[in-house]
Amino acid sequence: MTVEEQIREIVARITRVDPSIITRESTFKDIKADSLDVVQALVAVEELFEIEIPDEEAQKFQSFGDFVSYVESRVSKAGKV
Amino acid sequence: MGGDYAPEETVKGAVLAAQQGDVEIFLVGSANILENHLARHATARNASIHITPATDFIAENESPVAAIRYRPDCSVAVAAKMVKSGEADAFVSAGNSAAASVSAIQYIGMVDGIYRPSIVGALGSFAPNTVMVDLGANVDCKPHQYLDFAIVGSVYAKQFLGIAEPTISLLSTGVEESKGSEAVREAHSLLKKSGLNFIGNIEGNQGLSGKANVIVCDGFVGNVLLKFYESIGGHALGWTQRKLKKYPFAGFFAKLLFNRLFQATRISDETEKGGGGILWGVDGVVRIAHGASRAPHIANAIESAMNAVRARTTDSLKSELEKYSQGGKA
Repeated sequence: MTVEEQIREIVARITRVDPSIITRESTFKDIKADSLDVVQALVAVEELFEIEIPDEEAQKFQSFGDFVSYVESRVSKAGKV
Repeated sequence: MGGDYAPEETVKGAVLAAQQGDVEIFLVGSANILENHLARHATARNASIHITPATDFIAENESPVAAIRYRPDCSVAVAAKMVKSGEADAFVSAGNSAAASVSAIQYIGMVDGIYRPSIVGALGSFAPNTVMVDLGANVDCKPHQYLDFAIVGSVYAKQFLGIAEPTISLLSTGVEESKGSEAVREAHSLLKKSGLNFIGNIEGNQGLSGKANVIVCDGFVGNVLLKFYESIGGHALGWTQRKLKKYPFAGFFAKLLFNRLFQATRISDETEKGGGGILWGVDGVVRIAHGASRAPHIANAIESAMNAVRARTTDSLKSELEKYSQGGKA
C-alpha cells in the first residue's frame, strides 16, 4: 500500500466517506471534514508513520494532495519507505 | 479534574459515592491538591478512593482538540486511557465536556458504525415514553449522524424504558419531508431507507405527545430544547404564585402541586436518570456531569456511570448495530 493509499484509508475511515471520492485535489471541505476529523486524521497519520506534523505545516494543506505530498516527503527523508 | 466547584465539591462527591455504593474511585488530577482535599474527608470508605496523578488539565475555555493534539497528559486524557486499558470501567467528568468527548473518541474509540458520541435523555413526567437525542454533544451534524442518534435512542428506549419496538421521529419544522434544514432533509431520506421504525418528522408541538419514543435532532436544537423544557416547571410555579399573590394559602398549594404532587420543577433530575449524561457510542462508559455540579450531583453521576456499566450499555449498542448491519430492525 502506498503512503497515499494509507492516508486515503485513514481519512475515509474518520470522515465516513467513500475512499474513491477522495482525490488529490479534494479539500477537507469537499469531503465535509470538520476540525475534529482533521485533527484525528493528523494524529492517526503521525502515529502510523511515526512523524510529527507541526501545526504551521498542517495549516498550509489546501488539499488532500498537499497532505499526502508533505507526509511522503517526510517519510522518504526518514527512509521509512 | 474539572468542574465549576472542583476540586472541593468533586472530591466530596466521590467520598459520598464511595459511602453510598460498592465502588472503587480514582481521582485523576494534581496529586498534591487531591490528597489535601481527600484528607479533609477521613472516612473508612476512603480506602476505596485512589489518586491517579495527571500533570495537566484542559480549562473550560480551551480548545477541546488540545486534549489529543498537545496535551496527552491532561486529566481527561489520562482518565480515558484508564478506561481503554481496563483499569477503570468508566470515567466521569464535570469539566470541559467537549474535551472529555474528544478524549473519549481518541483514547477509548467509538463503537464500530457510530461516528461521534451523543447524549440521550428521557423526557420523564410529561412524556414518560419518550427520549431525545442528541442533547448537546454535536452542535453541527452531518446527515448520517441522525441515523446514529436514532439507533442509540432506540437502544436507550428499549433498555431503560422497556419499549420493545420504539418509534423514531425526526424533529423538524413540519411533518413533510421537504421541511427543515438541508441536513435534516437528507437525514429524513436516510432514516426512511434505514429499516428502523421511523415514523417521519415530528414538530415541536408534538414532542410531548408520546407519538415518538425517540426524537432525533442535532445537539444544538436538543440542548436548547432540553434547557427550555427543564425550566418550564419552575416558571409555571413562579407564574402561578404571582397570579395567586392575593391568596397566600393558594400560593402554598401551588408550591405543593408543582414541587411535590407533579414534581414539574424536577424535570432535570428525571432527564439525568438511567443513561442520561452518558456519552453514547463510545466503546466504554463516559458520563458527563454538569459543570456546576455539587457533591450530590457528582455522586449521582458516578452512580449513573455504574448503572451504565452494570446495564452493559455498550454491549447492547453493539448487538443492536449488528442486527442493523444485517438488515434487521434496530
